[in-house]
Amino acid sequence: MKIRHKIWNSFGGRSFVILLLCVFFLLLGGCQTSAEPASQASSAGQDLFETNCVSCHTIGAGVLVGPDLESVLERRDREWLAEFIRIPDQIILSGDPIVLKMLDEFNNVEMPNLALTEADVEALLVFLESSGNVELVAEAPLPPGDIYRGEAIFSGGNVLEEGGTPCVACHTVGNIGFLGGGVLGPDLTKVYTRFGEAGLVGAIKNIVFPTMRGIYAEKELTDQEVADLLAYFATVDREGEEGTASGASLIFWGVGLLGAAALFGFMLLFWSQQKETLSDRLRKDAGIISRRRS
Amino acid sequence: MDVRTHMSMIFHLDKCIGCHTCSVACKNLWTDRKGAEYMWWNNVETRPGTGFPTQWENQEHFRGGWERKKGKLDLKLHTRLEGIFKLFYNPSLPGLRDYYEPFTFDYQNLFNSPKKDVQPIAEPISMITGDPIDIETGPNWDDDLGGSNIYAKNDVNLESLPQEVREQMNELERLVFNYLPRICNHCLNPACVAACPSGAIYKRDEDGVVLVNENDCRAWRMCVAACPYKKVYYNWNTGKSEKCILCFPRMETGQAPACAHSCVGRIRYMGVLLYDADQIPHAANVPDDELISAHREMILDPFDPKVIAAAKENGIGDDWIESAQNSPAYKFVKEWEIALPLHPEFRTMVMMYYIPPLSPVVSVTEKSLFRLDLMQEDYDFELFDRLDAARLPIKYLANLFSAGDEGTIRTVLRKLLAVRIYMRRKTVRGKVDSVSRKTLAEAGLTEEQAITMYKMTTLPTMEERFVFPNYHREMSIEAMLDPLTHKGEVGLGYIQQPKRGE
Repeated sequence: MKIRHKIWNSFGGRSFVILLLCVFFLLLGGCQTSAEPASQASSAGQDLFETNCVSCHTIGAGVLVGPDLESVLERRDREWLAEFIRIPDQIILSGDPIVLKMLDEFNNVEMPNLALTEADVEALLVFLESSGNVELVAEAPLPPGDIYRGEAIFSGGNVLEEGGTPCVACHTVGNIGFLGGGVLGPDLTKVYTRFGEAGLVGAIKNIVFPTMRGIYAEKELTDQEVADLLAYFATVDREGEEGTASGASLIFWGVGLLGAAALFGFMLLFWSQQKETLSDRLRKDAGIISRRRS
Repeated sequence: MDVRTHMSMIFHLDKCIGCHTCSVACKNLWTDRKGAEYMWWNNVETRPGTGFPTQWENQEHFRGGWERKKGKLDLKLHTRLEGIFKLFYNPSLPGLRDYYEPFTFDYQNLFNSPKKDVQPIAEPISMITGDPIDIETGPNWDDDLGGSNIYAKNDVNLESLPQEVREQMNELERLVFNYLPRICNHCLNPACVAACPSGAIYKRDEDGVVLVNENDCRAWRMCVAACPYKKVYYNWNTGKSEKCILCFPRMETGQAPACAHSCVGRIRYMGVLLYDADQIPHAANVPDDELISAHREMILDPFDPKVIAAAKENGIGDDWIESAQNSPAYKFVKEWEIALPLHPEFRTMVMMYYIPPLSPVVSVTEKSLFRLDLMQEDYDFELFDRLDAARLPIKYLANLFSAGDEGTIRTVLRKLLAVRIYMRRKTVRGKVDSVSRKTLAEAGLTEEQAITMYKMTTLPTMEERFVFPNYHREMSIEAMLDPLTHKGEVGLGYIQQPKRGE
């Protein structure tokens, strides 16, 4: 009895059982993978489309922020499209003529790099090729927004429900006030015009910009917050002027430099005394002038 | 009674010839490293002079040591609160220019110089920046009264002297100087330990050596500012403070510290002193004129059975007690009372002692000729009754060694002179007369004491000058390590393994 227990408890015995289990599950997993139908690629593409693209693009429902992607593969070369979806920022920078024309057409809103892999892009293309028979789920309509709440959300006066960072940390708008907002992200004064209402909703609800994506990954905005922001952006768009607060940085520099000059000037009053050591003073009193090259 | 042991050094200043051998021995052994070039754990100063760093005794500027305020002893540097505010800017801290910029010479130029109309020279080079510099000062710049109109004139110890005496000291017929070798005093009430915000400095239990734990040092440099003797130095390369370690690795193996061992004039003595740690708070906090007597009171008699019993109770071994009984330090400090602490008014309770130097009589001008101001009658060492005729003013020595108390210095100098008079009569004339006996008695010495003092001063052997107890380091290691751990191993190993057949 005791001996049998020992064998069972021994490392060798246990690890054999674990090994067997592992082989079993591995085989099971392999079967599952091989059992997946080929048409699943299109469904994976749909998932990708819904998470990454719908904020700016539709299929057959007209222009949003970016172009309608219905039958896009008939209009564009497949390889070019694959490359553009994968690394749009680099293609834009390279000054591709097609892209330049498109930018002109779409308010200069650049497509962000979505960090998709080549496999993702392929899946997306497969989905776009077969998109005629896929129904996209329509978004629920937004509740009515409030301009003042929107402003508070933008400036950080109201805390976002999920704890996201307030917009003002990285963005500025025309009438945010004397010091302006952050300068990491673009000026959002005219964002309402540039993106259009539907595009803006998509952009806020389903954030794809690489910098913002990480910040809001687990902290999505609620529908009410989106509606409030939208109302605010609409007002700012009408009333505000781009770049009005950028003078603040000049004041910052001015105050900083003047302050530094004042501080150094104050220190200068003590500098000569501070540098003189006792032995320097003894020599100076004795009329020996320091010949040191300094 | 809390009996503890301390290794103490005695400096017989009468014998110091100012050769700096001690400084060089120390430099070669310990501070010949990057960042330590400017340090002189042992230095020799010419007195009157400003010493190293320049005017280190000026505590109004450097704020070292302790201050007695309303009967309480406080660091002169700062209170605890002030210390926090001064953490990042401490105006009392000496800068490199207070010491000197260490230099070497571009000797290669003497060999590599292209052909020129003039002789090539070895230009002075800063050991810190490597750039050529003009040497302005050095650790013994005022040696032998060099530049005395700048340095000797500004000796802090001269400040309380009358103006006319100070002026006279600059006159040729009164010119005088002596040497003052200095190491860390390994104080009983060390200001450096008290000031360290990191608690990195400690005093060794067995022999009282004050050490900086380089692992704990956080470069606040409060110790540098707080030490009134400026004997803690900051290594700018390692970012740690360093100080004299009293060559404890040498002492542990029965050798004298490098400075003492190499001393050409054999001015240094070392031995164990037993002291009563319970008396430190009192002895450090008495009025200035009682400092010396309180200090001597704290040193215990190693022959006293009560002291021996208390020492054994504190775990002090028989060989340490025996060593304390043979200690030359005990004889000079306590038995003969001729060795004095340097600047006892700093109240750090120093454990290194100095025998103040004698100096020649002043000269007088007579018919525009200089003549030594000697007495007419036949009497050797006429200074005995006229100590004020000595070229070194008593007040000056008192400012150095007895917190300004001239009486203490007079007693010591009379003892030194009495032994000289006695021994001269004895060896030159072959007999001891009543005059020399009288001077001896007046100085407070017995004939027996005079003879031992003479022997200890002039003819001591190495074993008499340096009496070290057995440290039994192997036994203290045994408590933590198995001494046989490395038995049979090959030491540090080979750089290149020896091979057969090669």
